[in-house]
Amino acid sequence: MDLSYGPGYEQFRNEIRRFLEEHREQAPPPRLGLAENSAAMRRWQGILVDHGYACRTVPKNYGGYGAEEDLLKTIIIGEEFRKASVSAGIASQGISMLVPTLLRYGSEEQKREYIEPTIRGELIWCQGYSEPEAGSDLAGLKTSAVVDGDDFVVNGHKIWTSTAREARMMFALVRTEPEASKHKGISYLLISMDSPGLEIRPLKMMTGHAGFNEVFFNDVRVPKRNIIGRRGQGWEVGKATLVHERNMLGASDHSMTMLQSCMKVLDDCGALDDPLLADQAMKLAARTMAMKYHSLRMLTDKLKGRSPGAAGLITKLNGCQLNHDICKLAIDAMGEGGILREGSRRVRDRGRWQSEYMFQLGLIIGGGTAQIQKNIISEVGLGMPREPKTPQRGTRE
Amino acid sequence: MDFGLSPEQELFAHSLRGYLSQHFPMQRVRTLMEAEHRADPERIEALSGQGLAGILVPTDCGGSGLALLDAVIAAVELGRAATPVSFHSAFVAAPYLLSQALPEPSMRGWLEAIAAGKSLLSFARLPAKASSGKWNGSASFVADAMVADAFVVASGDDSAPEFYLLPAATPGLSVEPLLNIDATRVLGDVSFEAVALPARSRLPIADPAGALRRVLDAGRIVLAADAFGAAERSLESAVEYSLLREQFGRLIGSFQAVKHMCAESYAELEPLRALLWYAAFAWDEELDDASYAATLLKSHCCEVATEVVANAVQVYGGMGFTYDCDVQIWFKRAGYDRQMWGGPSELRARAVEMARAGV
Repeated sequence: MDLSYGPGYEQFRNEIRRFLEEHREQAPPPRLGLAENSAAMRRWQGILVDHGYACRTVPKNYGGYGAEEDLLKTIIIGEEFRKASVSAGIASQGISMLVPTLLRYGSEEQKREYIEPTIRGELIWCQGYSEPEAGSDLAGLKTSAVVDGDDFVVNGHKIWTSTAREARMMFALVRTEPEASKHKGISYLLISMDSPGLEIRPLKMMTGHAGFNEVFFNDVRVPKRNIIGRRGQGWEVGKATLVHERNMLGASDHSMTMLQSCMKVLDDCGALDDPLLADQAMKLAARTMAMKYHSLRMLTDKLKGRSPGAAGLITKLNGCQLNHDICKLAIDAMGEGGILREGSRRVRDRGRWQSEYMFQLGLIIGGGTAQIQKNIISEVGLGMPREPKTPQRGTRE
Repeated sequence: MDFGLSPEQELFAHSLRGYLSQHFPMQRVRTLMEAEHRADPERIEALSGQGLAGILVPTDCGGSGLALLDAVIAAVELGRAATPVSFHSAFVAAPYLLSQALPEPSMRGWLEAIAAGKSLLSFARLPAKASSGKWNGSASFVADAMVADAFVVASGDDSAPEFYLLPAATPGLSVEPLLNIDATRVLGDVSFEAVALPARSRLPIADPAGALRRVLDAGRIVLAADAFGAAERSLESAVEYSLLREQFGRLIGSFQAVKHMCAESYAELEPLRALLWYAAFAWDEELDDASYAATLLKSHCCEVATEVVANAVQVYGGMGFTYDCDVQIWFKRAGYDRQMWGGPSELRARAVEMARAGV
């Protein structure tokens, strides 16, 4: 048991601190949620990439810093940027999901074309996975891509697409082999968002923000060379980054920051003098602390190249529910004031607690619902059998 | 960065599991449960195997001189096996306090006897202070009260406690059993009537308030570990049963209602393993948040554990409600752990004070 990082890493930490002191003026102000992609942000992102504080393991010949993979350094970077309240650069699906996919499955040409502009924030991507009829059962997706000359012709309908209006490209899962079995008939395509026949409709979330979109494909032509991996390999290609998304969605750092802010709300409202609210706060403190050390345990397994087994499957389920519960307590502590929304007189923290409370509910659903997570935990983790198939709708009287 | 058990610690857990299943199989546990308050030297001696009894006893007193983290590993295994022993009192609190008083030569003999499985000691908390050299009052919920050879007594309030070691045969000291739900660990009250305290019975401990805080933290951490073990084992057992039992022509383990209940149990329980490790590590290293971690851990882990065991009873259905089904043993075990040395709400009330004081 050793919770220190060792002298080599402490030196690295000092380098980051010096960097932050020298450059922090150039960073755009930090904000909640995904960082916006402004010109100032792209400049900052460029500085971070050049110094090896963003996308650090992307090889030099694709525009990255070319550092060796070192999980501890990545964690220390996160710690120091958070402590200094400096933006750690652009967090986008292009960077977190597409770039690792390209590095693993992309052709040399694809890597050269897409990676550098993506990590510098010049090329924005959106993800085309979910469909109205394929949510939890993602592999049941129906959007089709049929070969016609040098192109695939795509028809179908994607949903829950974040940043579809800002994006220039989409990475999508489509069905290219309708005769193959469910998982074997899918391919991974890169689709230009200004293609003729592609239509975007914003989808307003319960928070009031149009954070999602629907995307419709009507005979959209996509060059055949825009496939990543082989035809029929798309499920494998796409799945590799879904695991990454799930762990991102349940990260314990976020819970710790939220709990800290929540405790401040409680203290300001005098809620810690109320034994019932104080009791709930300490319950959340215990859950947060447990998840903090659980993630250190997972990190240790990763560093040692060990599989965490079933314990690795609970991060998303627990993390999102915990964040949701922390918001709920802050709202309760505010009493009637808890229902005020952004823009109102007397609203606290610009209405952040309610919108975050709703947003976290969305995260409990997104990236694999809580129910699907429980299926995975019980089946993969505990070895319990799958639910037997039941007759489909319409086949029973 | 290495947050986890060492290969030696994993081996220790593994060999202890084997040892306990050999020496304390469920059938023997049930027999011992019937014996309840009777002294049982054979049981105590068996517990000295694998270095269990001497786990915190210094090596030069015949013990293993290990850390609380190792005691936590042992406590998880004892909880899993429902081994009849008040580990937190006999093998954690008592030896810890005696080893703090080691400059006193008479302590050595007691520590050696604990490690060898020859003596059973118990920790008792007596709120009253001695007046004019005599003690009156009573200590409640004392582990192994009827069978202990001696008591390590902490008396007076938390800020200035005094510690004494009194053999059970001390004149004026009497014990009376309490009947608690968990027959694998027995309890009683210890009464003191004009008990004279010879100077040599007092433990010379340099920082008594600190020692009391640390002994309570250590006890709470291992009680949490015991509850964790009981919960973990009952969940495993429930899952095993769900893969044997059929209803409506299916294994009940294939019903989502059952699967999700088990998944929820697992998801709530598993992160507490890491918190157990951390709380013990923080105690061993005397980190600033050691008390806070111990307090939050005990409150939450025991609460989750009792829920997990209750869920396991439900997976077993009617069978789970019978005396024959082992889940009832873990249910009571976790119930005991939850109440002893501070229940969930009481501990959270303490924790919030620490949080406000800026721990």
